[in-house]
Amino acid sequence: MVQRDLTIKYQQSVLGYFWSLLEPLAMAGVYWFVFGVLYGTRVGPDNGSYPLFLVSGLFAWLWVNSTIGEATKALTSQAQIIKTIRLPREVYPIGRVLARFAEYLAGLPVIALFVALYNGHVGWSLLSLPLALLLQASFLLGFALLVAPLNVMMRDIERISRLLQRILFYAAPVIYPLSLVDGSNLPGWVKTLYHANPLVGVFQLHHAAWYPSEFPSPTLLVTSALGCFALLILGWWSFRRLEPAVLKEL
Amino acid sequence: MIEARGLGIKFVKQRRRKLRLRELVIHLGRKASSKDEFWALRDVSFQIRPGEAVGVIGRNGSGKSTLLRLIAGVMTPDEGDVTCHQQVAPLLQVGAGFSGDLTGRENVQLVGALYGLDPAHLKRKLPQIIEFAEIGDFIDMPVRHYSSGMKVRLGFAITAQLHHPVLLVDEALAVGDKDFRAKCYREMERMRSEGRTLVLVSHRESDLTRFCTRGLFLEKGRLVVDGTLDEALGTYQQGARA
Repeated sequence: MVQRDLTIKYQQSVLGYFWSLLEPLAMAGVYWFVFGVLYGTRVGPDNGSYPLFLVSGLFAWLWVNSTIGEATKALTSQAQIIKTIRLPREVYPIGRVLARFAEYLAGLPVIALFVALYNGHVGWSLLSLPLALLLQASFLLGFALLVAPLNVMMRDIERISRLLQRILFYAAPVIYPLSLVDGSNLPGWVKTLYHANPLVGVFQLHHAAWYPSEFPSPTLLVTSALGCFALLILGWWSFRRLEPAVLKEL
Repeated sequence: MIEARGLGIKFVKQRRRKLRLRELVIHLGRKASSKDEFWALRDVSFQIRPGEAVGVIGRNGSGKSTLLRLIAGVMTPDEGDVTCHQQVAPLLQVGAGFSGDLTGRENVQLVGALYGLDPAHLKRKLPQIIEFAEIGDFIDMPVRHYSSGMKVRLGFAITAQLHHPVLLVDEALAVGDKDFRAKCYREMERMRSEGRTLVLVSHRESDLTRFCTRGLFLEKGRLVVDGTLDEALGTYQQGARA
């Protein structure tokens, strides 16, 4: 399934796999220009390694972004196959998440390159990367299992997801450090709300791999983990519930 | 063996089937009333022994295709259940699972893999598939540009490579030109002679009498006749005349 997905996606583009690297790199370039150059060094770590900070966040973000974008269509676009072949239906949304994860993995060498260029910290902190990926995978699987069948019943979900992509991007510390939010003069309840987003902890972990000081506090880590696993369970449960109805609608 | 016990499935009619979010909010919690629902199949029970060839007959909308989908497991019943003790081949339908952007060759590989065929085995059989589908050099053209006949031929050619003991065929033979149909018949007869179970939905009497020995006649979602093909056909024609 994953292979099929990747083959279809890349067979018509000349650059093929390089697109999955170019896109986050181009985004990193843009944000570096706006926030790193135009706004000066007000954002990002002190040692001028903002590009590494961006890259470590954006490559992971693209996994979130593309999964949210595609998960909604995971079942609707495959209706023909679903109606003819008996496969566990979970395969379709899960396949999307894994295919996009494969793209993330393809980007790891680029991250490594930036780590080398900008003297990222290499050591025990690296262990936060697998933890980040585990939580992120659980979040995305849950999300995909939740929205894929819902979108069959209500096509509105597709639009909502697109909105969600935008909001989540700025509502998680992808391109800016978390300290900027904590240090801001936002009212307390907004900060609490912000921290309730499970992706906050996930992206902190992504950054923490190269910046140990970014490692999330125990409270944040626990909230994030609980949120991610809760979403996974919710997704799995709702998928089971909706499956018979979805099969009729397709 | 395929065994159906009290099989029933219902659909919602009237209301537009796809909910809009707006409606969901307005009618939150209000269940569709029973008059909005109808049973596409109800109280259907039968057993099919291995090696049997069964024709499913009935008018349009009598639930034939739905029955096939339930047997194939691509829909789940609301009542009763259907069990199948052998592997069921994918429903044979027009252009199943091809993606338009890939070439015929890539599609054969990918669809074959989805159908559970071994890639190496598939590679060996590829010339045979191309031969059978009469597609020739077009195999390296994106399927998007195929004619519908080509898609059907390629689809059938792949299915002919399957080794599942149970085959479900939904009017797939109605398409294709005369020569190709003759070829499909030969292929189906070969599969029959291998002792595979066949469930065939068709409106063409000639197809049914050719392959099937047993007939199921469905009317408005109920199983009316379960007997020999002649009995089922007889009832069907009586109903048509009346």
